Amino acid sequence: MAQVKKEEKYPIAKRFDIADVQVSREAQAVKPEVIARQIKRAKNPVLVTGGYLLKEPELVDYAVKFYEKGLKIIATGGSSKPLIERGVEPLTVSYTLHHFTQYMLDDEWQGFDGKGKYDVVLFLGFIPYYLSRMLSALKHFSKVTTISIDQFYQPHAKFSFTNLTRNKELHYRMLDEIINLIGGE
Amino acid sequence: MALNLKGSFVLDELKNVQITIGKILEEGEEWDEPVGPTPMPGIADLRKWDHTLLERYEPFYAPMQDFCTLCTMGPCDLSSNKRGACGIDLKTAKARLVTIACSIGAAAHTAHARHMLDYVIEQFGEDTPIDLGPDVNVEAPNIRTIIGVRPRTLGDLKVALEWAEREIVKVLHSTHIGNEESLIDYESKAMHVSMCDHIGMEVADIAQIVAFNYPKAEPDTPLVDAGFGVVDRTKPVIVVVGHNVMYARPVMDYLEEQGRLDEFEITGLCCTVHDMTRYNARAKVFGPISYQLRVIRAGLPDIVISDEQCIRADLLEACSLMGIPLIATSDAAMRGLPDATDWPVEKIVSALINGEVPGVFLSDPEKIGQVAPIVAEEVFRKKDRTKLFFKSDDEFREEIAKCTQCMNCVFTCPHSLRIDQGMAHAQKTGDVSKLAELEDRCIACMKCEQACPKKIKIINVIMQSNLQNLYAKTGMMRVGRGPIQDTEIRKVGQPIVFGQIPGVIAPVGCVNYPDLKDDLREIIEEFLRRKYIVVTSGCHAMDIGMLKDEEGKTLYEKYPGNFDAGGLVNVGACVADSHIAGAAIKIANIFAMRPLRGNYAEIADYALNRIGAVGFSWGPYSHKAASIATGFNRLGVPVVVGPHGTKYRRAYIGKPWKKEKWWVYDIKTGEKTYIEPAPDALLISVETKEEAIVQLAKLTIRPNDTGMGRQIKLTHYLELSKKYLGRYPDDWPIYVRSEADLPLRTKDELLKILEDEHGWKIDWEKKKILEGPIRPLDPGFNPTLVEEVFEKYSRK
Repeated sequence: MAQVKKEEKYPIAKRFDIADVQVSREAQAVKPEVIARQIKRAKNPVLVTGGYLLKEPELVDYAVKFYEKGLKIIATGGSSKPLIERGVEPLTVSYTLHHFTQYMLDDEWQGFDGKGKYDVVLFLGFIPYYLSRMLSALKHFSKVTTISIDQFYQPHAKFSFTNLTRNKELHYRMLDEIINLIGGE
Repeated sequence: MALNLKGSFVLDELKNVQITIGKILEEGEEWDEPVGPTPMPGIADLRKWDHTLLERYEPFYAPMQDFCTLCTMGPCDLSSNKRGACGIDLKTAKARLVTIACSIGAAAHTAHARHMLDYVIEQFGEDTPIDLGPDVNVEAPNIRTIIGVRPRTLGDLKVALEWAEREIVKVLHSTHIGNEESLIDYESKAMHVSMCDHIGMEVADIAQIVAFNYPKAEPDTPLVDAGFGVVDRTKPVIVVVGHNVMYARPVMDYLEEQGRLDEFEITGLCCTVHDMTRYNARAKVFGPISYQLRVIRAGLPDIVISDEQCIRADLLEACSLMGIPLIATSDAAMRGLPDATDWPVEKIVSALINGEVPGVFLSDPEKIGQVAPIVAEEVFRKKDRTKLFFKSDDEFREEIAKCTQCMNCVFTCPHSLRIDQGMAHAQKTGDVSKLAELEDRCIACMKCEQACPKKIKIINVIMQSNLQNLYAKTGMMRVGRGPIQDTEIRKVGQPIVFGQIPGVIAPVGCVNYPDLKDDLREIIEEFLRRKYIVVTSGCHAMDIGMLKDEEGKTLYEKYPGNFDAGGLVNVGACVADSHIAGAAIKIANIFAMRPLRGNYAEIADYALNRIGAVGFSWGPYSHKAASIATGFNRLGVPVVVGPHGTKYRRAYIGKPWKKEKWWVYDIKTGEKTYIEPAPDALLISVETKEEAIVQLAKLTIRPNDTGMGRQIKLTHYLELSKKYLGRYPDDWPIYVRSEADLPLRTKDELLKILEDEHGWKIDWEKKKILEGPIRPLDPGFNPTLVEEVFEKYSRK
């Protein structure tokens, strides 16, 4: 399986929109092992998938791999359809990212399966400006650990992949690396 | 009817004393409807209703900025809900910003209405009767409900407009530093000012329908040409941009009088062109607001007339670069131009033709009517019509060759369009198809060009790459019809309230779509095929006229224009949105006999609990879209917005698991009853067309649905979820009150799911649900959230 090599230089973390500026902390642009560590430490992690899965089949492949490693999936934006066709049973299919974020901001919410709120949330396959607003809400009004693993660097997440827009292969290799690491121990 | 006693008179006994009476409104004498609790409401009067709504639909904030720079004590860091120097926290600051945005939107429509009303009263007289056709007796449902008067003449509209102007100022006052502390009260003010917006819109549209003799609620209005390619380039082209038809109308009149209308192309962009076609169906629709730079940079106009709202702030510069004279007409956008209003026509024409000035500010409509055609004709004679976005193919290729793929354009594009990839592909292969693919998604905002270090004319490159398809964008738009007939409401009121017509979907607003334009057509057609009523306006209504199916037909050509199941109704420009709100109000009044007069909360409560109408703005971007949507929300109508809508920063989203939030008074039983979360949100954004379709179907569900109505709505919700999301929606069981609610074809399957996966008790012999639903289906269920309404009808 392809791995990100140590000597490989990561691109700089350029915001998906240069004007999407806030004064509070910006996401740490992290390597896959940091994200894998977060997932492994989490009590109730979840992967939220978005509409780009309908345009980029590779993202469906990676979501399926995460699922096979035991990660629960909340499918939004119609991403459920290709996932279900691949045997995935998402926790939910019909709530939007907007619903999910509103619910996450409520301390009393116990998750879609009633097993408690999600403490680490990964986001894959979203329109960048749409995800950005939700990450901003979660940053300011919740304590949840948000992780964006999309190709655009998301400044309002707690952790984000760096800007990978020039190198799709690197993006895929980094996703592979997380998947390998969370199942490797 | 308003009793008018106007004029001056002298009392015999009192010499030198003259009494002047302007106007007395004696509504009570001829309108026997009793005055409700809130005629001409102030900020506090509907606050209780707002708080009831916001208790259930909690505001959600997604800050665009976590700092505030509105006063000199700042800038203040409000991150993580910290308070700034004035004491405001981040959430409340966002609520204030939303209130400001809605105030701007409301002010735009209301100022438009003021301008229009003053003009038409001056031209036609304030006694001009309001006649909206033989089938419209409830002529101004918003004004009746909110203001509490029944306008009979143009002059009667003044009282409504003055009220809106007063309330907008009061709400704007509350946004000054050091006022409101509660975010809920800011939201209440946002709702209040947005309700003013609906009044402003209604006044503006009624005034122009009456004065300019637009179609009056006629379903079969003409189809007019729409699209970038509809203009005959062998004629002088006059283009009007904006929202106020006052300045385009005299141009058409002048040419008609001269018998020369056929010698010109009279076209427009954005809502102005809606009203141009309503005035004269020979006008052509160039396109929505995002087509401004497309049209100008193609060099198509021989003169541009700008009025107000949503026009580019660099229109003069864009026109000047192309040698196109500009006439600015509205004091809202004078563009630094010399005021030529008092100049003789000859002087204005000469200054524009000889390039002495790039444009003029000219506020005299009749003069514009004379100047524009003469200038257009002269410019047309001199212009080289063969050049479009580039002078030659070499120049086009040279522009592409400049790109270094720095991606600065991508990181500023609202849609993150991969311009770099298109350029690189074209550089390597000469094939511009990847650039051409961007055209449909591009809103031509020009931010990419501002970011480009090589100063590449990126928009021109994209447009030139897709030139053939751009010119192939031709279609037909049905002319805006204005209000919905009372007779139509009489026919569909019951099936809508009971649910047999599954819902009313209202796609309105701007063009900041997340993806391909055609998605809009696909979404709408899904509902038309399923016999929902679709009512549209504004830029959405224009784009629908430019989008064709596989057989080359637009939706307007495929579906009738009447307000009935499977009808596609274009009401007109964005001010005609008031007729969509008006239709909901009229259902409560005409079908359910609910009194309107000063009775807003009862009507909004009726809409929330009974009328399965949902607003839909796939590409919202203006402040007006914010106030239109928020006005609908106060009226109890949920709105779904595309993903860019999250940048309004605020949504209203309920929490279905909080049982205590979902209750109503049941007038029949006299008890407070827990209900299913229907609708579960008042303002929500979606990411994709698939998600939009399913959310729209869900949000038509109402507590008052009959068994058959709920069955029909659930059938569509379940089918659409399976079609687009791959399985049944997660929450369908909470909308089931009895086996009568279940779709017939899948009843057994669904009962089994309820038993196996949700622990419901089923009597399989009778195929009856014994235990499980939140509440049983009660045919006499009579829900309300308003205490006073509960008391009023319980007493009866």
